[in-house]
Amino acid sequence: MNQHEQVEHLFRHEYGKLVALLSRRMSIQHIDAIEDAVQWSLTQALEFWCRDSIPNNPSAWLYQVAYRHLLSEFRVKKRRGSLLTKHFIIDDEAQEHEEIPFSGEISNSMLRVLFVACNEAIPIESQLVFTLKSLCGFSIREISFRLFITEANVYKRFGRAKQHLKNQTIELDSLTDAELNDRLPSIHRVLYLVFTEGYLSSHPDRAIRQDLCKEAIRLATLLAESKLGNVPDSYALLALMYFHLARIQTREDDFGALLLLEQQDRHKWNKQQITLGMTFLAQSGSGDTISRYHVEAGIAAEHCLSPSFKQTRWDNIVASYELLERIAPSPLHLLNRAIATAEWKDPHAGLAVLNSSDMPNWLNRSYYWYAVQADLVFRCGETARGREYAKLAIDEAPTEQIKQLLFKRLLKR
Amino acid sequence: MKNKTYMCILRSETGGCEQPSPSEMEIVYAKYQAWQQKFADNIVDMGNKLGSVGSVVRHDGVSDGPFIELKEVIGGYMMITAATLDEAIAVIKASPMVSNTGTSIEIREICTP
Repeated sequence: MNQHEQVEHLFRHEYGKLVALLSRRMSIQHIDAIEDAVQWSLTQALEFWCRDSIPNNPSAWLYQVAYRHLLSEFRVKKRRGSLLTKHFIIDDEAQEHEEIPFSGEISNSMLRVLFVACNEAIPIESQLVFTLKSLCGFSIREISFRLFITEANVYKRFGRAKQHLKNQTIELDSLTDAELNDRLPSIHRVLYLVFTEGYLSSHPDRAIRQDLCKEAIRLATLLAESKLGNVPDSYALLALMYFHLARIQTREDDFGALLLLEQQDRHKWNKQQITLGMTFLAQSGSGDTISRYHVEAGIAAEHCLSPSFKQTRWDNIVASYELLERIAPSPLHLLNRAIATAEWKDPHAGLAVLNSSDMPNWLNRSYYWYAVQADLVFRCGETARGREYAKLAIDEAPTEQIKQLLFKRLLKR
Repeated sequence: MKNKTYMCILRSETGGCEQPSPSEMEIVYAKYQAWQQKFADNIVDMGNKLGSVGSVVRHDGVSDGPFIELKEVIGGYMMITAATLDEAIAVIKASPMVSNTGTSIEIREICTP
């Protein structure tokens, strides 16, 4: 990594931490000013660090620059009389708050902002967009990719969440446990999506982003250890994350290309992490409700315990996806069930599952859909139909070069 | 307190506890499976329970997830790290995936919907 890349890499990590810390200290109502200050500190860093060198403690440097910028903005507003002063007595507290935060405080702040942002008064999709962007450093493009919505829509939802947070008058401390408890499903979903992005990234340079996976696990652990988050769903989510983490090192070859499940060296799967996942799974298996995380963790466990690809109990996996379709309906589960069925029985059976129900438009155009269709159709020996899908793929391809390449690869063979 | 076991296992990461054997793992997993099976056997009941507690169904829309089948089983799909299409082709050619006879690999740039 050169200096510039290093700085960019750091920014992704620092953004959410800075927003969380400053929101904690200044109240989330000032979210716009806070984000401006964070961005200011990052542009300052770009200018100074690339010219001189990266300081020993970049996080502290960024925090101080952002904090000072925020204070000076507040002073200007105060002079103009356009700011309520009840939230902070700037000059007395300024010195104390400028001290470098310690890591425990950062984690607590992030968890806190998660609870603030995952407020049911904000539409769920807006909550997600806000936390993914402001706390987890996702780009608009990454969010659009993960939630299957357009980038314009992401912006709109982000704006809506911010608008709500700015007008928020109730402080987190005054909420009851029951009210905070209602926010857990959204928090789980945000952590799940952060993990998903890490597991197989939409980022052009890095297919697997372990840093994001570990960040999600860190926050999920904090959540499970907290008084409110100590619930079966949190443990199921942690189990799911550990089962995937255990395999992560074996999913890339020396060239950075991804290896499929069948090609992974199962001896290198991390046994301690699988054990940890199993411990969490056992802890999660209690109570009267089951979540998608339970079932997905069960599927991941099935793969982790299987001695080989061939010996995988695909029938169990098919049954789990059926259950998943009922408790958390999504056509993606049908795609997964089709794949598992093809392994359990044969590609024809898989294809029958795939074609057993109509797919929504967004999925019909998704590359997931083309991949599964093309794979199963070719495996069924239906070259002609395979070609049709190939043609469709070419029509949908975004650039001329890719259309050319697809033509050569798929239709001229 | 539930956290008890968890602490023990965490220590094992630095070499404290012994690794459970595969059969011990199976026993733990089977217990979990038995719990999960209750729900599969009684879908209607489960739906009601979920509805009243409002744990997942109410809030959950469609989103992507870390699906092993979709992302790691299907041969037609993999993602690679490359700056350009040419580089992507070079990476693919160097990987063991193309050594399987009869496989052809389609390369598509991932675009947002």
